[in-house]
Amino acid sequence: MNAAAPEPKANMGQPVPRYDAAAKVTGRATYGSDMPMDNPAYAFLVTSAIARGRINGFDLDDARRVRGVIDIVTYENAPKLKEAKLFSNGGYAGTTIQPLKSTDIAHEGEIIAVVVAESYEAAREAANRVKVSYTAVAPSASFDSPGTTKAAAKGQNAQFKEDPQVGDFAKAFDEAEVKLTASYDTPTQHHNPMELFSTSCVWMGDDLVIYEPSQYVYGLKNGVAEQLGIDADKVRVVNPYVGGGFGSRGSMTPRTAIIAGIARRLNRPIKLVPTRDQGFTIATYRAETRHEIKLGASRDGRLVALRHEGAEVSSRADAYCVGGTKTTTRLYACPNVDSLVSIVRADRNTPGFMRSPPEVPYLFALESAMDELAVKLNMDPVELRRINDTTNEPIGGKPYTSRSLMACFDEAAKAFGWSERSAAPKSMSDGDWLIGYGCAATCYPTQMAPSAARVRLQRDGRTRVEIAGHEIGTGAYTVIAQTASERLGVPLEKVAVFIGDSDLPPAPVAGGSNSTASTCSAVMMVCDQIRQKLFKAVMPNESLTDKAKETVGLGQAPTTQAAKSDRPLDLEKAFDALGAGVVEEYGEWKPDGAPLDSFKAMHSGHARLVGGHQMKDKIAYAFGAEFVEVRVNRFTHEIRAPRLVGAFAAGRIMNPRTARSQLMGGLIWGMSSALLEATEIDERTARYVNDNFADYLVPVNADVGGVEVILLSEQDDHINPTGAKGLGELANVGTNAAICNAIYHATGQRIRKLPVRLENIEV
Amino acid sequence: MSDQSSSRPSGFDRRAFMAGAAGSALVPLAARAGTQDARAPLAQDPALPVDVTLRVNGQDKRLSLDARTTVLDALREHLKLTGSKKGCDHGQCGACTVLIGDRRVVSCLTLALAAEGQEITTIEGLATSDRLHPMQQAFVDNDAFQCGYCTPGQIMSAIACVKEGHAGTDADIREYMSGNICRCAAYPNIVAAVKQAAPDIMKG
Amino acid sequence: MRPFSYQRATAPDMAVQALSAAAAVNNSLTQATAQPLAGGTTLIDLMKLDVMRPAAIVDINPLAQGWSAIDPGGENLRLGALAKMSDVAAHEEIQRSYPVIANSLKLAASAQLRNMATLGGNVMQRTRCSYFRDVSYENCNKRNPGSGCAAMDGVNRMHAVLGTSDQCIATYPGDFAQALIALDATVELTGRSGTRSMPFSELHKAPGNTPDIETILQPGELISAFVVPGRWPRSVYLKARDRQSYEFALSSAAVALDVQDGTIKDARVALGGVATVPWRAREAEALLKGQKFDDGLAERAADAAFADARGRQHNSFKIALGKRVVARALQQAVTMEI
Repeated sequence: MNAAAPEPKANMGQPVPRYDAAAKVTGRATYGSDMPMDNPAYAFLVTSAIARGRINGFDLDDARRVRGVIDIVTYENAPKLKEAKLFSNGGYAGTTIQPLKSTDIAHEGEIIAVVVAESYEAAREAANRVKVSYTAVAPSASFDSPGTTKAAAKGQNAQFKEDPQVGDFAKAFDEAEVKLTASYDTPTQHHNPMELFSTSCVWMGDDLVIYEPSQYVYGLKNGVAEQLGIDADKVRVVNPYVGGGFGSRGSMTPRTAIIAGIARRLNRPIKLVPTRDQGFTIATYRAETRHEIKLGASRDGRLVALRHEGAEVSSRADAYCVGGTKTTTRLYACPNVDSLVSIVRADRNTPGFMRSPPEVPYLFALESAMDELAVKLNMDPVELRRINDTTNEPIGGKPYTSRSLMACFDEAAKAFGWSERSAAPKSMSDGDWLIGYGCAATCYPTQMAPSAARVRLQRDGRTRVEIAGHEIGTGAYTVIAQTASERLGVPLEKVAVFIGDSDLPPAPVAGGSNSTASTCSAVMMVCDQIRQKLFKAVMPNESLTDKAKETVGLGQAPTTQAAKSDRPLDLEKAFDALGAGVVEEYGEWKPDGAPLDSFKAMHSGHARLVGGHQMKDKIAYAFGAEFVEVRVNRFTHEIRAPRLVGAFAAGRIMNPRTARSQLMGGLIWGMSSALLEATEIDERTARYVNDNFADYLVPVNADVGGVEVILLSEQDDHINPTGAKGLGELANVGTNAAICNAIYHATGQRIRKLPVRLENIEV
Repeated sequence: MSDQSSSRPSGFDRRAFMAGAAGSALVPLAARAGTQDARAPLAQDPALPVDVTLRVNGQDKRLSLDARTTVLDALREHLKLTGSKKGCDHGQCGACTVLIGDRRVVSCLTLALAAEGQEITTIEGLATSDRLHPMQQAFVDNDAFQCGYCTPGQIMSAIACVKEGHAGTDADIREYMSGNICRCAAYPNIVAAVKQAAPDIMKG
Repeated sequence: MRPFSYQRATAPDMAVQALSAAAAVNNSLTQATAQPLAGGTTLIDLMKLDVMRPAAIVDINPLAQGWSAIDPGGENLRLGALAKMSDVAAHEEIQRSYPVIANSLKLAASAQLRNMATLGGNVMQRTRCSYFRDVSYENCNKRNPGSGCAAMDGVNRMHAVLGTSDQCIATYPGDFAQALIALDATVELTGRSGTRSMPFSELHKAPGNTPDIETILQPGELISAFVVPGRWPRSVYLKARDRQSYEFALSSAAVALDVQDGTIKDARVALGGVATVPWRAREAEALLKGQKFDDGLAERAADAAFADARGRQHNSFKIALGKRVVARALQQAVTMEI
């Protein structure tokens, strides 16, 4: 055991090394653009330099003269594609803005031409030689730009159904003993996964294979088929490894069908590796948001009134919004709650999910406000949370299936040394550095979606699990293998897992932190089908009881000597009784409360996520508490966060190693969001200016000091068969507020706008 | 001569330069300076491929490349060594890190032509068939990656970091591993891996 | 990236000859049709962005044998232009006698880039102005003389507050050059008529009305060496930035002091991240010389350094930040143990 592999506590699996570790450290793991292709042509994108207006025309002479150019595709000769519907309106796409359809430009960086050439170098050169003439119209860049429109989210976004309200907020706030009104801003952010937004398309007759980093191979397969007007069975998406997703690859982008269409027309495999800056505009991003929070409390700290108003930017074409009030109105006990979410339309590409889409901006606002309220009340911020902790959410009164928020606060506070904090701002320092401590709650809804799986067990114990899940760094291979190993009682090293291929049984989008719960529940169910079959062969007249577990070795954790060294003898017996060498089962699992059309939707690439506050008679969230130490240099005002501590409770922890790594990465993501990340927009042109890895700042190794992750034991029997709550998006939520709260403690300065930069600090 | 002299600077002295031309091997560094090499015709159209021999993981690889090809693209697109990754193509992320000689460099900003005659080591050149390199094993043991895309670059960089003598303290490792971005943010585990592997690498 | 002919220069005169012939086409050396290739970390980067479009590349790495020596042995420190940043940063005698040089190099870029980049290439690296680096912006006086400046009223947080003109506010991004200019270094140039030396401070040209002309290098001229007079063990390079590593300076200061019996005999101050060219703050130096050090003096010197600074919408903070960085660097230099 080392720090990376924490000792499991109750209701935790083993911290086994990653299934795909060897492949990843040797370079053998093949990502989208690593896939071998026979004689590919290379595509390079030309993107719009204006955000609004139209194309007058192209001068392609120079570009065509480049040796090796095969084709240049513009709106004049683009493959005809069908309309792409938004995922939230029954489609698959993250945007309805269709490039190469007309002369119209909807946003900066929209694809306006695709150059195809014999080599990458020639394609790039020719793309650089494409000359475009535009008629530009002054664009609206963001909130404060002239020409934007603002309207309530409810009614224009099909997935935003309610502005949660309860009681009489206005009266309660008016009468509250202590009041706080504060506004908060969060910036535009881009996912910037390490792997670029590549797409390779290979046609074999009428069949199309797509190699592309995707968090939803079934969605992409069906979406591209729809746009091309072909049967979905003709399309296969393959991506055994995805170089990071963070939400950016959950919905279909326009590039895929375009490349597929060109490859079909040219009858040639095509490989597209867009540049990093193109990734800022050909995919989605986290839009900037604005918030006003009103809190009313009694002198003893009980919340009596809470109002959260949020505004979010979206494109002219699509009413995307994250609507985090669904979470912030339910987090604490409060009898009078009001909320409103609005969408502001600007000349931008359509935003989309980015790691904890609703919770990151909305909890930054609420958890900052809670800290401000604690200051007003002269109360320890941890105690303020304790006073307002609840077993039931206040809007509908439904009980949380489990909620270990205060246990997390207590564990994390202890590990962090919160009690050593001197509460007054500006009271702690070390040489050149002012020191601040801060904390915040974190949470994320527990979600599940229908999933299928196929499992094949051989008499020698070798097991093959097939499921179109996604390995985006979460450890999907590993926890699926562990689940099969534990359920069938076969040694872990005998389990082979196949994911990342839309020819495999459908799994949901790797989004909303639902993957582990969904895929492993399906795998468990199918393993049980196998056990049932074997058991019936051995004892045809008995039902499946504990006895049967022995029959196929269930109950023998793979760490036991028996499982490690010998395959259970009774497995052979069962196979003999069955008279078969192989048992193969397929099954489809759906969570409680999944809509009737769930399985049909699952096959057609529509994930029906259920969970969070949308469950009947209950509400399911994972919780955590995060504590940070911030240091502010009294001379340069540089801000560093050398210590991050988080305690988390997320039901069953399938693998403490992969869980810890995700939560650790999440804490660092949160720090990055608070201190570094912002996409700068040129107000005049509505263009992203810092669209590269030198100027869009994400943390480097030197930015990260001590990161401590504490996994709490938690049992929850009301969510799904695995008992696991998703945790991939849990840790990067609270950090934003925790950092600002710590900066307040260090400097006495309350900063309500992210990211906090050194010029925002006045010491 | 049929070469298109307009594509080259006027006054070009053919005796002084070994042009990167089709069908010719380029002169080794500092060798045959100023001599005329009959095998080396002058540059033709610069868009024509050039013959290059790259030494990768101990093997000579003869390639015909566009002069603009970087070491990264030569490895990935021409030698099918896809372990080295493209994350930015501008030296801003480190995912393409390889060793040239004993130095870690970003292969995306290194022209293949300029790397001729030098030993290039990639992630594929580390492990033997049955045994991982100590740094690879340390990355496995310490869960020093999640999505794995930056990992080959991290490992190549980490090996050099140790050999340079920059793995003595946690602070040194953090600073000298800062040229490799890990968006999953496995940084603390990367530091632990480098510490674990350092003694083995210094020994061997 | 445009096609180019690739040539290896195995002797200085060959490089000079090829470069000078081609460079004559354009008086703006950085847009010349032939470019020397050393580490490539600027050139290849900007060629991929289509910002630089040389038709010929002259690989001067074969000259390294003669041009990469690090020689701190004599009265002066001599640094070959093809010495790698990493090698100079790691050199023990440089660390001991010229900490400002060692640290300016160590705090720049990343380990990989420092392994590739040479000293000569480093001082020639070009601005990181986003509007300069993106050719889809037509208005960049540096790229397209006379076209305007998109940064002037754009996103200009990273831009310069000193040495600007109404034509260009692009920041000189390097670190090492501040150490050179502070220490009165000489740059040695090798060109058609042999070798000439000049003060390093004269190498770069402020943008004025010709932001496209960045240095005084003549066609075909190459930097062959730097010479730094004296020794400066009491010297500091302080660099402030958003991220702890692998980022260009928001503001930096190269400071070197000669303090005897509590009196500042000589003081050198140069500024990075805030100016259009490597920036020597002579007014600050004048205030410091002959004085006893205290924090008030440091602040007055810092104020003097930024007396002429002019901020724009997003970068005005650099004036206050720069002053604090200078003051703190002076304090660190005074108190350092040597």
